[in-house]
Amino acid sequence: MDGDEVGSSIEITGLSKVFAHDRLEVLALDGFELQVRPGEFVCLLGPSGCGKTTVLRIVAGLEPKSGGSVTVHGREVVDAGSDRGMVFQEFALFPWRTVRGNIEFGLEVKGVPPEKRAETSRRLIELVGLKKFEDAHPVQLSGGMKQRVGIARALANDPEVLLMDEPFGALDAQTRNLMQKELLRIWSATGKTILFVTHSVDEAVFLADRIVVMTARPGKVKEVIEVGLPRPRDRTSGEFIAVRGRVLAELDEEFEKARAREISPD
Amino acid sequence: MDKLVGAIWKLLRSNWLRILLGCASLAVFIAVWWLYSAYLHAEWPFSGRTPSSTAEYLPNPLQVLSAFFDSFAHRDPVSHLFMTSHIYASMKRIFFGFVLAFALAVPVGLLMGRSRNAEAFGKPIVEIFRPIPPLAWVPIFLIALKLFWGPIAIVFLGIFFPILLNVTFGAKSVDPVLLDAAKTLGAKKSHQFFKVVLPFTLPYLMTGVKVGLGIGWMCIVAAEMLGAVGGGVGYYIYNMAFQPAYFDRMYAGMLVIGLLSVLTTGVAGVIERRLYRWMGMK
Repeated sequence: MDGDEVGSSIEITGLSKVFAHDRLEVLALDGFELQVRPGEFVCLLGPSGCGKTTVLRIVAGLEPKSGGSVTVHGREVVDAGSDRGMVFQEFALFPWRTVRGNIEFGLEVKGVPPEKRAETSRRLIELVGLKKFEDAHPVQLSGGMKQRVGIARALANDPEVLLMDEPFGALDAQTRNLMQKELLRIWSATGKTILFVTHSVDEAVFLADRIVVMTARPGKVKEVIEVGLPRPRDRTSGEFIAVRGRVLAELDEEFEKARAREISPD
Repeated sequence: MDKLVGAIWKLLRSNWLRILLGCASLAVFIAVWWLYSAYLHAEWPFSGRTPSSTAEYLPNPLQVLSAFFDSFAHRDPVSHLFMTSHIYASMKRIFFGFVLAFALAVPVGLLMGRSRNAEAFGKPIVEIFRPIPPLAWVPIFLIALKLFWGPIAIVFLGIFFPILLNVTFGAKSVDPVLLDAAKTLGAKKSHQFFKVVLPFTLPYLMTGVKVGLGIGWMCIVAAEMLGAVGGGVGYYIYNMAFQPAYFDRMYAGMLVIGLLSVLTTGVAGVIERRLYRWMGMK
């Protein structure tokens, strides 16, 4: 086990995943490698079907891996656990629970006493900007507000890493931009390690310390791009557009490969 | 003119219209019934005809209504009980049948909805027994289970399957992403069941309860037909059907069942709405 000073928050080596549909086996991931430093914000980017969500689900412990090794803070991932918080594209809020009830879910199953739960949820509701909505039910909230609950709920367990699966994919463009800024604010306030799956180049360049571009299926790392721009980032600045261009070029190559394979299947 | 059109539009979209339509349908039904009965009895406006030989089968609505009130005021001529006693006896059977059906259908439904093996095991039995009408079980249940448990068992069968089917379907439709969310929040198997599967299934359960209660009432006549301890509305209807002079009472008994079913389904509906509001679902 690596010490915390040298070690990574997330360490993935030689990860492979085979999906079996009936008698057909599909190799979704093949030799995927990634090290994420504590407190780092890493975006996984790739053509659809490249397995980026699968990587996230394996790290979360929701999907078994077929080979390789995944450790989070030095511990091998075997199943889902509260040390890895997850935020879903579909929000996945419990519709029968209020905002507060959703946020306190993780604490409840851990057996945290009600006063302490209330304290934590109050703090998180404030952090994600949902004051006055603590007793609302998910149906009463807009998409952006729902995902604020999703983030607060994942943070309630004080996890070491936050896994985000296209969390803003279901939001309109304006809300999406706002939520990206909000996420960066929450990230700097909590110092969590974030692994963020997206298919938006713009989103990845705006958010990430590093962008991992994946190959078309079977997914592995094609290129890791260090963004290296100071925050807050300006989408219209020359540097931003330059990084965006680099990422886009990498991605385009994979799109072409995926498309070529669709046209002439092997 | 525009104002008139506007007012008509407003009426067409208001709830009042819906209530009015509901009343109108009842009024049309009663009018048709009354006319047909008058036709058979050769009463106004059909005074000229000779009465039909089947006239006694259909008393007019007023006669049925007065038999209805009379059944609460006086003991009936066959079992010598007030209608309140019959209602109490039937309600008790519905209640016991419901409690038993609920207690068995909910756990079995949850199990079959969440476990493929349990479903594979239970499905053949359910699919063979579900279409058998509870009526078919009447003789053997009354002989084998006697007059107290026999009728309850028949009502039980009527209520059991709607609840079982709805709960199974509900438990099966639990959104997998909600279970994923629960797992990443540290929920163990038991938490996933009690805090995700169970609340998700509740609305389906309520649908099953409402449908089941309706079918339970449909079984009550069959359940009480061949004998019942302490009377029963079904028992009352069946006994009144032996003499044409009591046909108005027989129809009054049917009216009682209709009203009781509306009442129990209504209570279930109120509970359902409360539950939805409490759970934050519209």
